Amino acid sequence: MNSSPPGVHIIRKDAQITSELTRNLFHKNLAKVEPPHQLKFLHTTLSRSGLEEFFDDPKNWGEKTVKSGDAWNIKQLRGKSSEDLHKLWYVLLKEKNMLLTLEQESKRQQRPMPSPERLEKVQKSMKNIDLVVKERETALRLLQTGHEKPVPGEWRNDFLGRTYWYTYKEWPIPWYLNKKYKKRKFFYLPHVNHFIRLRLEKHLCVRARRQNLEKKRQKVLHMKFPHLAVKSQSQ
Amino acid sequence: MAAALPGLAAAMAAGGRRAVYPLFQLGGPQLRIFRPNFFMLAVRPGVPQPEDTVQFRVSMEMTKVDIKNYLEKIYNVPVAAVRTRIQYGANNKKNHKNQRVKKPDYKVAYVQLGKGQTFQFPNLFPEKEQDEEARSFDDFRKKYLEKEQQIQKGDPRRGGVPDWFGL
Repeated sequence: MNSSPPGVHIIRKDAQITSELTRNLFHKNLAKVEPPHQLKFLHTTLSRSGLEEFFDDPKNWGEKTVKSGDAWNIKQLRGKSSEDLHKLWYVLLKEKNMLLTLEQESKRQQRPMPSPERLEKVQKSMKNIDLVVKERETALRLLQTGHEKPVPGEWRNDFLGRTYWYTYKEWPIPWYLNKKYKKRKFFYLPHVNHFIRLRLEKHLCVRARRQNLEKKRQKVLHMKFPHLAVKSQSQ
Repeated sequence: MAAALPGLAAAMAAGGRRAVYPLFQLGGPQLRIFRPNFFMLAVRPGVPQPEDTVQFRVSMEMTKVDIKNYLEKIYNVPVAAVRTRIQYGANNKKNHKNQRVKKPDYKVAYVQLGKGQTFQFPNLFPEKEQDEEARSFDDFRKKYLEKEQQIQKGDPRRGGVPDWFGL
């Protein structure tokens, strides 16, 4: 851990992200720190600016495929501290921007983009970070206030008789001065009951059909592969 | 992180839904987003731009101030000025069901760099040495395409006249 530059505690998964991280940090400290010999510098036509981060390592320009590691798993991210996740988010964001730039340029030049699966991996990783942060926020909020959701709300009926979760919105004026809000109906009249019943019937029919199909499929499988049947737990 | 202030917790977009930001009223606090999900990609300009101008495609929700802060904070790029416009994506192409297919709209930002910096969009697909397999495949493909073109033109022995005429 001591060998890595100051402020970087992320356990790097992806080889590219490693080089990118070290590249980013050393760009800022170039004036003060003598860079070690194992770092390769980019000598390109771009003037010295952070815009180089919108493009891949120049060695990879023109390659057919670029190797990259797997996406970050939720289980792996749960073990990281909030600071680490914060830094990882920005690393992934820059990587995503770089890949999108490459995608657009490849469309422009009518060439295949090298390794487009990298985009999906980055998007999946970012989604996972979001989920982990949400989990942590919910836990903290539950402990501090006892509320699970960040925004309060309630169950309401709309004019068609459907029940849904209405989240409260922030307004600069109270509800009785809000003309648009007053036009909305959060109740239904008695003539809608017939249609609620029909909708319920439809929902039940669909559910019964799905369950029947599942049972039939299981029966067919049982007939075809009797040796794979699950044995009952009772003695 | 983002959980610090209760008002900001709702800002995250869940499953592609619109992000909800706290209401701003005069004298209120500045909105700060901890983990922005806005993308920004550099594009090659269609029309030649001055040397200090970089062309980007950005998220539709970003403003000029947002773009300036984004570049300065995340990429450490000095920005002098930003101009934006929204490019409308056409809706006149049709698919196999004769339904109109829309090309997505996008926002274009022209960023002028500060401190006298210049930028030239690089060539991301330089010609590289092909290995033997790729070269032989390329040769094969070229020969095949030449043959196809010859058939299209017509036999040179008959003076380039297509096969349809004569015997």
